Amino acid sequence: MSDAKNESAVLNRFLMGNEAIARGVIESGCSLATAYPGTPSSEIMESLVRWKTELKSSIYLEWSINEKVAFEVAYGGSLAGKRCAVAMKMVGLNVASDPFTSAAYLGIRGGLVIIVADDPGPHSSQTEQDSRFFSWFAKVPVFDPGSPAEALEMTIKAFDLSEKYQVPVMLRPCLRVCHARQNVTISHPRSQINIGAFEKNWTRWAATPKFRLALHGELNRKIETISSTEIFALPKLIAGDSQSSRIVITSGSVSSHVRDVVSSEAKMSGLSVYKVDLPYPANHSALQSLVDSKTETLIVEETYPVMELQIGNRTKVKGRMSGAVPRQGELDPEAVERIISGFVGLKPKDFEAPNLKVRRPSLCAGCPHRPAFFMIKKLFNGAIYAGDIGCYTLGVNLGAVDTCLCMGASIGMACGFAQAAKQGQDGELVVATIGDSTFFHAGVPALINAVHTGANFVLVLMDNNITAMTGGQPTPATALTADGSKAVPIDMERLIRGCGVEFLEAVDPYDYHALENTLKAAKSFSHEKKAGVSVVITRRPCIRSKNAAVSKTKFQVGENCDKCMTCVRDLECPAISFVKQNKNVRIDPDLCAGCGFCVEVCPSKAISVWGI
Amino acid sequence: MIQMILCGRGGQGIVFLTRLLGDIATRKGLDVISSETHGMAVRGGSINSHLKIGSFSSPLVRWGHADYLLSMDMLETGNNRQFLKEGGVVFENSPVASESGLFRVDAARIARSIGRIQLENVVLLGFSAFLGNLEVSVEDIRARLSQDPRESVRNYNIKALDAGVKVGSAMKTTGGSTG
Ligand code: SF4
Ligand code: SF4
Repeated sequence: MSDAKNESAVLNRFLMGNEAIARGVIESGCSLATAYPGTPSSEIMESLVRWKTELKSSIYLEWSINEKVAFEVAYGGSLAGKRCAVAMKMVGLNVASDPFTSAAYLGIRGGLVIIVADDPGPHSSQTEQDSRFFSWFAKVPVFDPGSPAEALEMTIKAFDLSEKYQVPVMLRPCLRVCHARQNVTISHPRSQINIGAFEKNWTRWAATPKFRLALHGELNRKIETISSTEIFALPKLIAGDSQSSRIVITSGSVSSHVRDVVSSEAKMSGLSVYKVDLPYPANHSALQSLVDSKTETLIVEETYPVMELQIGNRTKVKGRMSGAVPRQGELDPEAVERIISGFVGLKPKDFEAPNLKVRRPSLCAGCPHRPAFFMIKKLFNGAIYAGDIGCYTLGVNLGAVDTCLCMGASIGMACGFAQAAKQGQDGELVVATIGDSTFFHAGVPALINAVHTGANFVLVLMDNNITAMTGGQPTPATALTADGSKAVPIDMERLIRGCGVEFLEAVDPYDYHALENTLKAAKSFSHEKKAGVSVVITRRPCIRSKNAAVSKTKFQVGENCDKCMTCVRDLECPAISFVKQNKNVRIDPDLCAGCGFCVEVCPSKAISVWGI
Repeated sequence: MIQMILCGRGGQGIVFLTRLLGDIATRKGLDVISSETHGMAVRGGSINSHLKIGSFSSPLVRWGHADYLLSMDMLETGNNRQFLKEGGVVFENSPVASESGLFRVDAARIARSIGRIQLENVVLLGFSAFLGNLEVSVEDIRARLSQDPRESVRNYNIKALDAGVKVGSAMKTTGGSTG
């Protein structure tokens, strides 16, 4: 390809927002980056790996065990004088919130950028919280990019701002930036920046509460200076002209919808649009005088009223606080059109709400989690099923997941259910399910807690060898780290034994009878003998991973089928369906992954190998 | 300036098509922006992606603004109709006959006959690029696919593209009814 050899300083590429952010990290002269996967942030680390290879960079990259640790590693690197970055999704910031809020007080040395991807909508998250509010809470400046190209520029600005003021800086892209693709101009990276080795100073880096008060004052002064002097904190005109009497102020990914809607609708041509790149700490006096000089202002931002609340006198302001902007849900282009039409007194175009027949997501055909859930349901009928976060949350479809709170909560909650059961209605069965990556992330302390307190429940640890839901990232049990360099794999069995678990067995979930017997034994250990937590590891690689030994065998439904629907309803394999037209049960050979589990599941023995 | 929606089920190669078109447009020096679906939806669920070529800021197509809908699955056509503007055109992978404003090609059957069901997206692309004005031509696509370093992938893709084009051109001459 000719452009790969292009010698000029800049190139044009069609990049995903997350790839652009990763490019910005490398172009900034960053030396260390960490992350924990989570949609929509996961591709940032994956792209860093690709840029590292393409540019032969020496940047250190790691998938950390969780977001708290990822933040601490990057923070350590910053104190050592290097530029460092850490990436996660917004609920990951909840996990990292402890070091994050504290680091703002202490400050940094080498530039430290925290990339937090938000998911308004929410498309694949538990909440639609606005990380800009978290940045406000922690007093950390935040850039809010509107497009992949802008995300790249802002990543570089974020490092510069961080170093200039010695504060951590957040970059908060939303889903529509992370997973948007755009033609983006890239440049050659700066060489890695090093502001000099760590200098011991315990009054700062190990500050006791007395010193923290002074540090808080210092942080307040930095924030005040940034808000009043940095141009990013000012509203800038991005559409229309400054003479309009009615304006829209916006920020982040929703600003791109606002700009497209306003510029494509003739009836909105009297409006002008202002955008703030740094919504916290925004220049509130500039915002206030802009608002005061106009007849009316509409504030359109995602997801919480961050800029809006920084305006002291909001009598001429419409937005979330006034009810002009809905308080939840993604502000997609249709929502933006409705909001702005309402603001300028137009009737929005009437669209019939489409009658969607959206397919619900399902565990893949051949997914090793499916047999595990099927068997749990079969043996523990009526139990409380404490579930967790990952692909296996889809165990809901099989009726074997009752709860989903946050990473690692299945084990902690199972403790609660088990202790509650001890106090009353005896015999309450509790089964917790968790994936391997989530177990490492936040399950281990909860398991220690469960063993220590003598909780009786069965824990099924679904080990598919990777972090499957977010695209197959390595876990601490993998022998490789993010960029393929050697890692020390953590032995899961030794870890679990070390937590004090006495009943521990691993089983192949494709093996119907072994799975059944192991789960029965676990049930008897935890529930009949009340001997504590039992752990069953169901181990088989994710069907989509390169370690999966996918079978070429296909299966078919024969004449014995009495249409009991056990396979369709209880096993819920997407390859098996009831065909209404000819009233029979069919296995789609294009979808069947040949796991063979349905053969055992069918009570009529109607399923057999294709061609036999 | 063109706006389109590509839709189908997870695993049908929607993301591949979006990236391919965007990549070609970028190399041609055009402004292009798109939005992909990732995450939970990809597990066999409905997915769509938005693609806009021209001076747009938002990666999302607004309801009633798409010039084209490229659909890998009949049911998903229904789920994405609202994006289409008045007079917008649908290109659909299905065995049924075409009708006004809705051009159909049995891409799955063709892909299977070439030897890989996974090629159905490329068949649909060839068909759509021949009949529609996607700002990216069949020749642009062919040139890009020919750059794939893996010989067998290259050959399969070109075969699938040409098969789609062939159905499209037959349709043009017979004035609508499918072959
Ligand atoms: S063998 Fe049965 S359960 Fe396994 S993927 Fe095929 S149809 Fe589904
Ligand atoms: S479980 Fe067996 S008998 Fe029941 S519907 Fe499925 S194939 Fe038919």
